[in-house]
Amino acid sequence: MNEKLDVEKRESFGKGAARKLRVAGRIPAVIYGHGKDPVHVSLPTHETTLIVRQSNAILDISVDGKKTMVLVKDIQRDPVRQIIEHIDLLEIKKGERITVDVPVHITGEPYSGFIASLEAAHLTIDTEATHIPTHLEVPVDGFEGGTVITARQVELPDEVILVTPEDHVVVTVMAPAAEVAAENLEAEEGEETEAEATSEAEAPAEESAE
Amino acid sequence: MLIPRKVKFRKQHRPGRSGAATGGTTVAFGEYGIQALTPAYVTNRQIESARIAINRRIRRGGKVWINVFPDRPLTKKPAETRMGSGKGSPEWWVVNVKPGRVLFELSGVDETVAREALTRAIHKLPLKARIIKREGGDA
Repeated sequence: MNEKLDVEKRESFGKGAARKLRVAGRIPAVIYGHGKDPVHVSLPTHETTLIVRQSNAILDISVDGKKTMVLVKDIQRDPVRQIIEHIDLLEIKKGERITVDVPVHITGEPYSGFIASLEAAHLTIDTEATHIPTHLEVPVDGFEGGTVITARQVELPDEVILVTPEDHVVVTVMAPAAEVAAENLEAEEGEETEAEATSEAEAPAEESAE
Repeated sequence: MLIPRKVKFRKQHRPGRSGAATGGTTVAFGEYGIQALTPAYVTNRQIESARIAINRRIRRGGKVWINVFPDRPLTKKPAETRMGSGKGSPEWWVVNVKPGRVLFELSGVDETVAREALTRAIHKLPLKARIIKREGGDA
């Protein structure tokens, strides 16, 4: 079900106006698509933040009394404060086909002693605008080391076409590198201590030589 | 220890510490990451120490990514030296970390182990940091 949001049209632009909006509890946004001129709007911060937790969220909004369906295309966040600074909304129609990035989830556990590494966090698909899958699942139950799962092998829902190249690696099952590293750790540390001792001894000699 | 193989100039100006990171602010490879909250010069020794701390905790699995590389030399004058007579000799290799930068990433372990491992790594770094999860993924 699509979420409904209270949208207000923006008349003032620039960073000053955008900052004032954010202080007032609203997020600046832009609506574009279908070859129309972009429309600048603002959205309520709290409700929007909750909705956009889901990837490819679809909203039902009303601008100038005209109801529109939009897809959350892009989100700009402040990396430190983690607040949403701006949102791009793409206008869509029922029955229209669009290209979107969908997250990939690993399910199950590989064979004991191996780990599944997600190489592609998202896959690009072509799908009907109102039936975008929330995620794609890749089962790795019982897979042994060296197994490579490509985009071709990912099970897609009906009427979904893969856009990502079919030979794109999505998941690899491998022996954990950290285990090997941990085994060699003590040996490495021993070498480093020796090296440090040597370099400390050598340093004054270098300085005097200069 | 991370160190550049070859450099064009031995000595550089001290990098600016103001502002926030403009790139590398999200978890791109693993499931969990360490994100810096304050600026700092992180040395290659500190990066190595943090990496060892993570590997010790995740002994039975996992994969670690180091997203930063210490490619800037910092110089130091010897103790009790009068000012002048040129720039000091290169002493450390550092990466100029700004708030928001993701330094390490980790995957292949459960959340409890990941948080413990990354917390231990944060203790080895000269900055305030937090643990973040990848957006829209398994995490």
